[in-house]
Amino acid sequence: MGRRGLLGFALPLAVLLSAALLPYVWIVLASFKTRTDLISPTPKWIFEPTGINYADILDKGFDGYLLNSIVIGFSSTALTVLVGTLAAYGFSRFRIPAGNHLFFYILATRLGPPVAYALPMYLIFNELGLINTHAGVILAHATFNLVLVVWMMRSFFDDVPREIEEAAYLDGCGHFRVLWRITLPMTLPGLVAVAIFVLIFSWNELLFALILTGGETRPLTVVIPSLVLHTGTQWGQVAAASVVQSIPVLVFIFFIQKQLVQGLTFGAVKG
Amino acid sequence: MSQVTTVHTGSTRTFVWVCMGPVIAFLLIVAVAPVTLAIIDSFRELSLTSLTKRGQFVGLENYRDLIGADGNFYDAVGHTAIFVLAVVPVELALGLLIALWIDRAFPGRRLVLTILMIPTMIAPVVVGMIWRFFLLPSFGILTVYMNRFGFFEEESVFSGPVTAFVALMVIDVWEWTPFVMLIMLAGLAALPRAPIEAATIDGASRWQIFRHIQLPMLTPLIVVAVMLRAIDASKLFDTVYVLTGGGPGNATEVISTFAYRTNFVRWDLGYGAAVCLVLAFASLVAAAVFFKTVSGKAARVGNA
Repeated sequence: MGRRGLLGFALPLAVLLSAALLPYVWIVLASFKTRTDLISPTPKWIFEPTGINYADILDKGFDGYLLNSIVIGFSSTALTVLVGTLAAYGFSRFRIPAGNHLFFYILATRLGPPVAYALPMYLIFNELGLINTHAGVILAHATFNLVLVVWMMRSFFDDVPREIEEAAYLDGCGHFRVLWRITLPMTLPGLVAVAIFVLIFSWNELLFALILTGGETRPLTVVIPSLVLHTGTQWGQVAAASVVQSIPVLVFIFFIQKQLVQGLTFGAVKG
Repeated sequence: MSQVTTVHTGSTRTFVWVCMGPVIAFLLIVAVAPVTLAIIDSFRELSLTSLTKRGQFVGLENYRDLIGADGNFYDAVGHTAIFVLAVVPVELALGLLIALWIDRAFPGRRLVLTILMIPTMIAPVVVGMIWRFFLLPSFGILTVYMNRFGFFEEESVFSGPVTAFVALMVIDVWEWTPFVMLIMLAGLAALPRAPIEAATIDGASRWQIFRHIQLPMLTPLIVVAVMLRAIDASKLFDTVYVLTGGGPGNATEVISTFAYRTNFVRWDLGYGAAVCLVLAFASLVAAAVFFKTVSGKAARVGNA
């Protein structure tokens, strides 16, 4: 690239990166500002950082809400991956009676507006006593992420050559051994990526968490909007809570860069 | 497929049940049972207070009220339609433009692409908060700069019906354009290089190459991107919940916030069940269309 070419590329790229990043950077900066710096009439880019906002949200019990997010995220991920991977293997290797209908139904649970399933789920969880528990929202998130696991794992299983499995069968291995010792290890990188996707989707989800949890079982996504009050919102605390909620996501997306397209399009597009 | 299954017919049946049993049981508990319950409730007059004794049977009244007479429902449907029709083309055009432009080798490419994906990957709740903070009356940074040019001095962005709606659209474009860009980049990477090189040698312009070579080959992916975005945009909830709550008035009320308000703010559950089922039916139709399009081999450009 020549000097002009470099400038012609680097400059627009810088603009693009700022557009994507600046709003986020601004809230990160805000989380380290004092109340005076926050409401300063001229926006402050340089200031004396403070940890007061993080201390404040800790006082408000955010360690508990963070723990709720972690428990809900990891439990629903474990459940989804277990149920979804088995189903994906079934779809990939065997002719399932009415399989296409089942497959379609799993898809439909994800494509519809979640709110359409929210009330039915609320009603049945209410009967079962699962409102305001972790279990209810874990089940709800698992339902919605199932399609992603089934679709992606099915395509990974389809990519494993049958000949390898057949060789193992001839050696006398049963189905479980073949899946557990041969096929699953070969799809492990894909499985990890899928699990991270499911974790992020559960971690970021608002609607079901809003409806199915309450009080001490609320995860971060539900608590953050509740910090906005008609009588003087503490924006420093909102910013700090937003940073705590989003940092794990930023860390995780570095690990799944390769599978990002595939995961976000339910496997419809391969990167 | 049949080779594997015929070797172990005895244990295979058990194994298939082990694979499919959990997902079937799971769907029965969290999908079939709730929807059945909702269908029953949609024929009842039901509110939270009468939840324990189930409501009175009212036949099709809930559906008649909803489809026949509820202006708010149609407003929400209209707003959602306008929203989808406005944001999806903009996101497609911008995403495609950025993808075409950034589709080259340069140092730090993967890091750059990951940073560009931040708006799509962080929680929509956080996106909403970021922009709410950005656009706060009087001291939000964007408001401060816009005030200097004489905009929004009297009235804040979210207190005007039109400006609030447009703001939600702009935020959606910010959030989802990177997603479209990523799909288009995957598509561009999978295109064969030979025709493009040949056209370049023959002296074709950048525009001609795009118009006659890249665009036709990208079309299946554009279809997938548009459908995914349209389906997703029609489900919009989080940012509206955080930023406007459907207001001012019902100016930014969309389908999801309408259903949420009916069920979980007004606790009009029988009526709300009818709303949910109408939406679920509409989404089943959408799912059928999506399934047909995506499972067709045309969409599998990325595999080539």
